[in-house]
Amino acid sequence: MREQAQLGGVGTSARRPDGPAKVRGEFTYAGDLAAEGMLVGVTLRSPHPHARITRIDTAAARALPGVHAVLTADDVPGDLHFGLTLRDEPVLADGVVRYAGEPVAVVAAVDAATAGRAARAVEVDYEPLPALTDPQLSLTAEPLHPDGNVYRHVSYRCGDPDARGVVTVENTYRIGMQDPAFLAPEAGLAWPTPDGGVAIDVATQWLHSDQQQIGWATGLPPEKVHVRLAGVGGAFGGREDVTLQTHACLLALATGRPVKFEYTREESFLAHRQRHPGTIWLRHSADASGRIVSVEGRVLLDGGAYASTSPVVITNTVTLLQGPYRVDNGRFEGWSVRTNNPSCGAMRGFGVPQAAFAHEAQLDALAAALGMDPVEVRLHNALQRGDVATYGQRFDAPTPVREVLEGVRAVPLPQGPARNAPGGVGRSAEGGTVRRGVGYAVTIKNLAFSEGHVDESTAEVSLCDGHATVHTACAEVGQGFVTVAEQVARTVLGASTVEVTQPDTLIASAGSTSASRQTMASGTAVHRACLAVRDRLLGRVAREHGLDAAELTVADGVVCAAGQPLTTVAEAAPGRTFRATEHFQHPDTHPLGSPEARMYVGYGFSAQRAVVDVDVELGLVSVVQIASCQDVGTVINPTQLLGQIEGGIVQGMGLALMEEVVVADGRITNPDFQDYLIPTIIDAPEIVSTYVTDPQPGMPHGWKGVGEPPLCTAVPVVAAAVRAATGLALPAVPIKPEHIALGLGTPPTVTWTTPRPADPTLIGTVVLADEEVEDALGTMAEEGASPGR
Amino acid sequence: MSDEVRFSLTVDGTSHEVTARWSESLLTVLRDRLGVRGPKTGCAHGRCGACAVRADLGDGDPHVLCACLVPAATAAGGTVETIASIGGPDGELSDVQEAFLAEGAVQCGICTAGFVTAATELLESNPEPTRTEIEEALYGNLCRCTGYGRIVAAVETAARTRRGEAR
Repeated sequence: MREQAQLGGVGTSARRPDGPAKVRGEFTYAGDLAAEGMLVGVTLRSPHPHARITRIDTAAARALPGVHAVLTADDVPGDLHFGLTLRDEPVLADGVVRYAGEPVAVVAAVDAATAGRAARAVEVDYEPLPALTDPQLSLTAEPLHPDGNVYRHVSYRCGDPDARGVVTVENTYRIGMQDPAFLAPEAGLAWPTPDGGVAIDVATQWLHSDQQQIGWATGLPPEKVHVRLAGVGGAFGGREDVTLQTHACLLALATGRPVKFEYTREESFLAHRQRHPGTIWLRHSADASGRIVSVEGRVLLDGGAYASTSPVVITNTVTLLQGPYRVDNGRFEGWSVRTNNPSCGAMRGFGVPQAAFAHEAQLDALAAALGMDPVEVRLHNALQRGDVATYGQRFDAPTPVREVLEGVRAVPLPQGPARNAPGGVGRSAEGGTVRRGVGYAVTIKNLAFSEGHVDESTAEVSLCDGHATVHTACAEVGQGFVTVAEQVARTVLGASTVEVTQPDTLIASAGSTSASRQTMASGTAVHRACLAVRDRLLGRVAREHGLDAAELTVADGVVCAAGQPLTTVAEAAPGRTFRATEHFQHPDTHPLGSPEARMYVGYGFSAQRAVVDVDVELGLVSVVQIASCQDVGTVINPTQLLGQIEGGIVQGMGLALMEEVVVADGRITNPDFQDYLIPTIIDAPEIVSTYVTDPQPGMPHGWKGVGEPPLCTAVPVVAAAVRAATGLALPAVPIKPEHIALGLGTPPTVTWTTPRPADPTLIGTVVLADEEVEDALGTMAEEGASPGR
Repeated sequence: MSDEVRFSLTVDGTSHEVTARWSESLLTVLRDRLGVRGPKTGCAHGRCGACAVRADLGDGDPHVLCACLVPAATAAGGTVETIASIGGPDGELSDVQEAFLAEGAVQCGICTAGFVTAATELLESNPEPTRTEIEEALYGNLCRCTGYGRIVAAVETAARTRRGEAR
């Protein structure tokens, strides 16, 4: 049974189903929620990055008129601790605070002003403790937490790491802390349910993760915790961790009333997880032809006060240090560690932008050392299908590194002056000091969950009189899953109208809307459910007409028999509902070092070329153009694809040039949009976007995730272009005006002589001694998957 | 309470008698007191434009501003047009709203009402804006999803539509 595109089907620029409500301002975001008798929740947060709480007295706060509840750690009925990977974080401070902004108490009152007064009336005595803010010292310092200071240490090698070519380049890079900076601050509304449970409408990325963690804190079984998706105003990883969810539910249960939280912008910066800042040392060696002989890398990521996804992010960074290049000999090591800085976790790219910034700078350095063209060096080393990664996994799907590089090189360079001089429309730059630079970068990003994490989704689809309904737990955070789901239902079912219902925990988990995975996971579950519904519909039509169902097809909403129209989908079975629930799970993956050697589901590849104008006296940069060529499997929706590419590039450009959460003595000094700068429309460059469409095996239509690779590439490519314009090394992002104008910007000195932690199994799930690595790699060799080849 | 003020305010053509605190912003009055939820709370510091409305604060000079920056009481007697005033009465979309949908200028959409408001104002005063003029008109509105390319395309498309040119 063939599938054919119909109006609004797969391959068309179908419009967002939630678009009309959004352009009218009528779409209901979590912050717009309200309920009869609603109370307002407010959080009291620690002013100290590290302190012992010697006394909390809530009596004065509770006595204020209009205050319905004041909760501290003592009032948490279930398990005090939660976390996405390790349950190391208290719902409310458990006698010690470990970062500035840690929730200490929560209040529910009749309005925000009263709740705020009550929070200020909670008396807390702190005994400040020394704040550990240097991640390098974390490795040897007294543990900040009973679980220790190392979230995960990974170490492995392949081939002969000491092999050397004629040229060796060695540098240390630093990446700053980026905030997801979604525009709608965290919000949610919780209420007690008649069965003694709790329900919450919340802007989140992962409904079932929230449900589980709310269950831990409240002591309720999962069936009594109902999570529904409220309108989400951007996410980018920053809503993957629980923030207000548990607090709102605890207060709703304590007061018997609906309780709403809506964070301020400042609180949003304090409450959610940022992108890991990190330091990366890399040594590349190459032969005279430019072929990479060996790569050695070390990574130190500052995970902040609590684990979140730090144990997972570090593996991405370390394993993808090789970049999209064939590396036969290597030695790689990395740590993510605990400090009293803000907790870091998921953000678009998930550890890869850090790696990409470093490995691409190294490739340019190699090219310079060899006197080669930067693109030629990359082409010379480009991964190909069949190659084996340093961590042992074979690239067994399309690996179009060469194609994306050549695709981006084929885009004509912009001619003439830039639209905006450095400094924006104010044109503060003088023409005489403006220099143009051109840089290239190419990156690899793993798609979907890795290392054995369950990566699944379930979809329920029904069809009645041509109207399809799609139900999943996939969080729509702006990325466009709702459009994809509609397109699939139109294409497969020939549905004339499609409704994507509100995601909730009444259906099985769809996993997180992150890791570029929802089109692949939930999209495929929807596709399977649509196929099953179509089979049922056609079986019925076949019986009615005395035909063989195998002869029937659906095209453009018409049921055809042997190619001839028979009836329409809308009229085929009046009043009859066909329904199917289907599950999809990605192929199994395994932890780093496992004999199976399959860590990742698949990869996306992206190449970009940046053209920048730099005023070298003022240090101002204007990004003139970014040309992009990305491997996208297949194009599902050209307009939405372009939006994902452009949005990712501008976010990456932000990290390269302006975005940094500045932390001083453990405190964020710029928690607002006056001092934390994200790109404006003036900063955004012209973007020329081209694609390589090489279908991904095992996926409907050959589709694959596209959301993260553009960001991963934009960081190194903008840095490369600014280096080309200025001749400066610029080993740190964001590149700030003073780095250019004053020649500052070298990364902090890191000695890398840090001893390994006394107990390397502290928290990490994979810590390989060299012998174990040898064993694992030896097994691979026996299986014909030798990384050393 | 001693800091309460009472004033009249016309919002999207409807006249309201408002009681608010001095310290409340126009955005708070719109959202929390009048239930007008089109303007969104993004930063509350006038930096993101999610709460942009078109307002005449009594000086006869209607223009686009961030509702979060206007102390409510200074809007006394004023006229405010939010996103609800853009488009037809039966949910019919304006040319700008249509263009935002067609060009993919909407992702999460939290910035969209502000962008549509600012873009509508721009095209009323300048039907043929250059790229630079579009940027000057919209740089007070932040978008974290789209990278702005689709938004520029939408404004250019709406301008062409308004001039009667084919897309």
